[in-house]
Amino acid sequence: MIQKKICLLGASGVGKTSLVKQFVEGIFNEKYLTTIGVKVDKKVIELTDKSVQLMIWDLEGIDRYCGFQAKYLRGASAYAIITDQTRSQSLVEGIEIHNMAREVTDAPAVLIVNKADLDVAWHWSEKEVNAYRQDFQGYFNTSAKSGSEVEAFFSCIAKLASD
Amino acid sequence: MEQSLIQALGIINCSILKRHGNNKFEVMHSNESWFYQLTPEAKDQTIFSFTDSSSYLQDFFIDAENFWKIGIDGQIQSGIWTEQVPDHLLRLEAIAAVSKGESYLVINNLQEQYDKQQNTVQAARELLLSNDKVLAQHEYIHERLEHLLMRNHDLESLIEPINKAIESANFAVMICDPQLKPIKQNPDSYDLFEMNRSSQEEQPIETLLSLLDKQFPEFNRVFTVSGQWNGELFWHKPPSSSKWLQVAIYPIKNEHRAPKYWVFIVSDITRVKYLVQRNEKLNQFDGVTELPNRQYFWKSLEQAIEKACPFFVLFLDVKHFKRVNELHGHLGGDQLLVDIGQRLSPLLHENDLIARIGGNEFGVLLHNLKSHTRCEQLAGRMIEAVEQPFYNENQQKIMVGLNVGVANYPLDACNAEELMKLADLAMFNAKRETKSTIKLYSKALKEASDKRLALEEALRTAIDEEQFELYLQPILDLKTGKIIKAEALIRWKKSEEIIIGPDVFIPIAEQTGLIVPIGKWVITRATQMLSKLQNYDQDLKISVNLSPRQIADRRLFNFILVAIQDTHIPAKNLELELTEGVLIDNFNQVYRLLNAVRDLGISVSIDDFGTGYSSLAYLQKLPIDHLKIDRSFVKDLDNSDSDKAIVLAVIAMAHSLKISVIAEGVETQSQKNFLRDHKCDSVQGFLFSRPVPFDEFCTQLRNQSK
Repeated sequence: MIQKKICLLGASGVGKTSLVKQFVEGIFNEKYLTTIGVKVDKKVIELTDKSVQLMIWDLEGIDRYCGFQAKYLRGASAYAIITDQTRSQSLVEGIEIHNMAREVTDAPAVLIVNKADLDVAWHWSEKEVNAYRQDFQGYFNTSAKSGSEVEAFFSCIAKLASD
Repeated sequence: MEQSLIQALGIINCSILKRHGNNKFEVMHSNESWFYQLTPEAKDQTIFSFTDSSSYLQDFFIDAENFWKIGIDGQIQSGIWTEQVPDHLLRLEAIAAVSKGESYLVINNLQEQYDKQQNTVQAARELLLSNDKVLAQHEYIHERLEHLLMRNHDLESLIEPINKAIESANFAVMICDPQLKPIKQNPDSYDLFEMNRSSQEEQPIETLLSLLDKQFPEFNRVFTVSGQWNGELFWHKPPSSSKWLQVAIYPIKNEHRAPKYWVFIVSDITRVKYLVQRNEKLNQFDGVTELPNRQYFWKSLEQAIEKACPFFVLFLDVKHFKRVNELHGHLGGDQLLVDIGQRLSPLLHENDLIARIGGNEFGVLLHNLKSHTRCEQLAGRMIEAVEQPFYNENQQKIMVGLNVGVANYPLDACNAEELMKLADLAMFNAKRETKSTIKLYSKALKEASDKRLALEEALRTAIDEEQFELYLQPILDLKTGKIIKAEALIRWKKSEEIIIGPDVFIPIAEQTGLIVPIGKWVITRATQMLSKLQNYDQDLKISVNLSPRQIADRRLFNFILVAIQDTHIPAKNLELELTEGVLIDNFNQVYRLLNAVRDLGISVSIDDFGTGYSSLAYLQKLPIDHLKIDRSFVKDLDNSDSDKAIVLAVIAMAHSLKISVIAEGVETQSQKNFLRDHKCDSVQGFLFSRPVPFDEFCTQLRNQSK
């Protein structure tokens, strides 16, 4: 079975760990618990023609307490930029991270707008979000809480990683 | 495994493996409770190889192998990672080490450190997120209201869209007139201060203003200078209600840059404060610079007053900080603040204090200085330290400056509020200078500041009442002796008797932004004059001066375009005059503007040439038609060989670039002769005419054609 490394990147508090937890264990916890360093989870995902074991690297949120570390992207077959639709700044920071990632890898990237279970509270118009989407190979509006679009996101990134 | 080696490596809860070649390890010491869960392949093996069960470790081995191959004593770390083992999570860090030619892999279990670090960062991040949300909401509602209130509609027609914007904002929004009387306060404003909407008691805005007065004595400056303000206030309503409030104050300005409305946005941040209090360090120290914060500074200031020993309060403001944030992002700005704190701290005595008391503001308490002179010397060293270049992580150079305001206890004031107010006033005066400056508070400074504020107020009235007059100073072609152009020069006719020169009011207009409406008036008036001058000479030009603030105004080009269209004058008759400094400071904006006006046919001249950077590079890159040699070089032409040389060099250089040359300040016949003999193109100065009112200029034109 083929193994593929994928990385989840984004500002802190956008729900990277919750997405992994929902995908791997089917659990969601309301309490925010910040990630330190990296947590690696594994899950086998069945694509139409093959099985892929995803090595999901959940990276600590990038902010003033933790800078972007290009080395974690080494060997990644795809990565996702996670943003939070209740916080405008998370998209700005997500795009900054995407630009930094682009300097070290040309792996396919997926844009995730998370927390779809909450009201949209950021001030980006659909047009603006669509403009940012153009720079990604995939886009999903997920909810780690309800699980909405989570499977679809990981299936897509698994496919992009193994193509 | 020798215990001494374990201790030498400084590791307790760890497993140590000796490397015997590529992916071959011997367990020398292990913590069995977790090590074999991580590497079951090592169990009962003398020498074993890692399988690919840990993706993180495998990735680290790429760096580790390179390190081991080099074989020099030392260590490299993997960074913390979390590994899922059957029944729990392991918090680990791997270390590749070389000691006395032997290679080791140490796997360190960091559960305790992880928990500690997570607790600290957790509180800090929750705080950051809450703060982020509050600030983003404030900024958003401010933008929406600004957009609405800037429209030139009557307030009544705006009430509905304003209501829509603020009714369900989830935080207090109050809109006031310039006298701070409330026009609109949303329901949240009343709820926040636990007031009844129908009651005739105190209004939310009154409560807010009285809190500001008590807790931020320096806030009055915000209203005086029509600035923005952000800060935190504590509200207490006996017996048991109390809240922490995040307050943002914004002026909505009219076309004359005077406040048309004031918008107050207030959020309850009690929860955020609770988070801060959970972490003692964040409560007393600034999260970015790790210096003491405003609350700590304030407490120290009050303690210093209680001791009743003389000391100085310094208010420091980092110049050009906004530009750093714009150019290098907020992370770049934050790093700069950290670096500034690190440069300033070593200059202080151990009993002194430096704190971050605002966005780009630091407060300093100096206890060990005997005189104002010493204090000034130290402040000078602070400026020197901050003016040295900073470099960001991409090695880009960042230059900033420092404004320093100083007040003394007990000479200037004896209570904390007053001392802060005076230090702030002194700093604000320092801020008016373009270069880093130190200002010590004094009565004279206060009087000058009051006088200046009065002048600002009078200038606003002058704009409303159009108390200006545009004079024209002829510019003559040296070959023909005919007037070909005039420079437009503004005069402020405060009354029939009092005419104020531009050297007095233009710097104030520039600093306050009033130069934008004044500049527009000049352009309008100049185009009207040009329309009339068409009857005398269809090629006659008027040149108008543009200031840095005008250049920064994105609407300038459209304004010029409309002025030309309204008066039906040929665009080629208008000329724009800029100083060298403007070109250097705003090159990109200037480049766009000059190319756009050039497309219309407007010409451009560079004023005061030779006094600034005199860079050839921009002369080549920008569409420039004329250079004006500064009057200071013309003045001593008769006596100074160096001035003669400069003038000749400018003429030669300009002509080689096909730029014509105008000499300013020509006052004598011999100056004129020299310029004519050396092929200067045109001249301007008292020898020919002073700046004159429009009618007098027309008379000169009539006399010339006779």
